[in-house]
Amino acid sequence: MSIYKDAKYMDVPYEEKLKLFNEVKEDMRYDYSLYGCYECGICVAACPSARFYDFSPRVFAQIMAREDVDTFYELLNDNVWDCSQCYSCTRCPRQNNPGGIILMMRDAAVRAGLQSAKDALRAYSRIIYKVMSTGTQVTPDMLQPDFFPDWGTDVKEVAENLDVWRRAIPPETLHTTELAWDVSEKTRLELYMIWKLTGNLELIEGIDEGIYMILEEIMEELLDDHGYDIDDFENILEE
Amino acid sequence: MAELKNCMFPDELLYHVAFNVWIRKNDDGTLYLGMTDIAQSMAGNIIHCRPKKVGRNVKAGKSVATVESGKWVGPVKTPLSGEIVAANNDVENDATILNRSPYNQGWIVRLLPNSYDEDSTELVSGEDAISGFDAYMAEKDMGECVHCEGFEG
Repeated sequence: MSIYKDAKYMDVPYEEKLKLFNEVKEDMRYDYSLYGCYECGICVAACPSARFYDFSPRVFAQIMAREDVDTFYELLNDNVWDCSQCYSCTRCPRQNNPGGIILMMRDAAVRAGLQSAKDALRAYSRIIYKVMSTGTQVTPDMLQPDFFPDWGTDVKEVAENLDVWRRAIPPETLHTTELAWDVSEKTRLELYMIWKLTGNLELIEGIDEGIYMILEEIMEELLDDHGYDIDDFENILEE
Repeated sequence: MAELKNCMFPDELLYHVAFNVWIRKNDDGTLYLGMTDIAQSMAGNIIHCRPKKVGRNVKAGKSVATVESGKWVGPVKTPLSGEIVAANNDVENDATILNRSPYNQGWIVRLLPNSYDEDSTELVSGEDAISGFDAYMAEKDMGECVHCEGFEG
């Protein structure tokens, strides 16, 4: 039972919550992330997200230590994406790692294809696409008025004349606009093998079927060009 | 041209509501495929459109192009299997055409369908299309279409 009277998600079967809770506890990183919490609040004081959201890294440490499965599920849906993953919370005197626990919880949320995870990651679709297809994350052409409205009016001019602005900065960037830098075919090939072999590509399928579709096709085409079959990766490992 | 919540739908086209695409049949058996006004509104300012290469065979439900906007990336799905016989270079060079003219200049690929009769059962037009898109917009919690680059048809 949740310790909170106004606990949410009480209509979700307990077994479903417990399954996800156990997934986190069985993560190989878990035993090195939680040693016990005496509620000193240092993690909260250091946490930038706690300043702006109704968010506390201490609650994660407490709830996991108490094995409060209902509240775990509530955090998994409502709070887990508020963390900025800066790991300021690791200044814990007990060496707890609330940011690490949150990372494991995010993994579990994505694997389970929770709607809250889909909603949280929707805004990052281009970033997921860029990282997985090219290995570069934030690219110059992401500077668009409707993606970065908080950049103010200048962003419109930057977006419209991006190639000019890019030519004004040092040549090491190779003046790319669609990528942060040029990525070799060999790098992309290695990257695709990593995504495929680690199961990350399949993980995306549960979150965004559209991105999965285009990533799979991009990867398949390059792998095909090099004589690899994307559906036969176990044999590549053996080779 | 029919209108629904500021979204335009030319009468002569066929639509696949779930994929948010339109189809225009040609006399030679090929067909043009593109994004609807709703699709371009949902994407926002489109900055890249990469159609698949000419000669590629695509299956129904798979992607014929990747479209990238300021805030979104996703596939343009085809309701019909077939061979891509032409790709629109203009939208590859200037993807804002998809915002400005989704139904005319903004065709994305020309497709030779393998089996039109078999694959076209989910295509709708007229009132069926309008009611289908009305439900689609409600499901996506979408208010109205936005023509960020104007609307030229």
